[in-house]
Amino acid sequence: MNGWTLTAALVLGGGVGATLWGVATGPLRRRVVAQNLSTALACPALLLLSQGYDRPSYVDLALVLALLGPVGTLVFARLLSGELAGDPPRAQGVTWAAAGLGAAVVLALCVAVGPGRAMAKLLVVGALLVGGNLVASRALSGGFREVSRG
Amino acid sequence: MADAVIVVALLLVAGSATAAVAVRDPVRQALVLAVLGVALAVLFTVLQAPDVALSQLAVGSVLTPLLLLLTVRKVKRRGQRKGREQ
Repeated sequence: MNGWTLTAALVLGGGVGATLWGVATGPLRRRVVAQNLSTALACPALLLLSQGYDRPSYVDLALVLALLGPVGTLVFARLLSGELAGDPPRAQGVTWAAAGLGAAVVLALCVAVGPGRAMAKLLVVGALLVGGNLVASRALSGGFREVSRG
Repeated sequence: MADAVIVVALLLVAGSATAAVAVRDPVRQALVLAVLGVALAVLFTVLQAPDVALSQLAVGSVLTPLLLLLTVRKVKRRGQRKGREQ
């Protein structure tokens, strides 16, 4: 047990635990935001775990999650657009907080691994994570409604 | 102390699986199932099975909710069509 896995346990217990509460209760708009946040918080946790176990190949998991998490949220945004249109979710604060946490974790890991190929991979994962999360959040709040209608 | 992250992952899986059973509406169930898929992937990772976690991520976070939502949509449309015919 080192600092990395301890931080991962904290992110998992606090962050993903909170999104689990959010996705199980409340109105539909809160649930879709919580589902989006669960992937945005699990991805930094997987990065921290890969550093904690000292297995660089585990970064692939975070890469796949950073790619597929926003795709899953876009599926919900597209297929639930009718029900979300009347009551669009607004979650700017938590979305930016999750994006900031992801960026902070990626930066800390970049400092830990030093320059090289692993650092480039980490930066790609971080860009995918933050960018995909922001796009998915915007799609949920109806930012691309004109596109989905056409 | 070293198993704290395993305990956290197990608790997350147990909590999300219980929530997936307790939620009644299929659409909301799909949302909880997506979170359950991510929690399971994290559990497989902390149990040192990254290959299983990889396939679980692909299936659990995108495919299962997509299939569920498409099914719900088709059933609803068929119900509306039948309602109009009667």
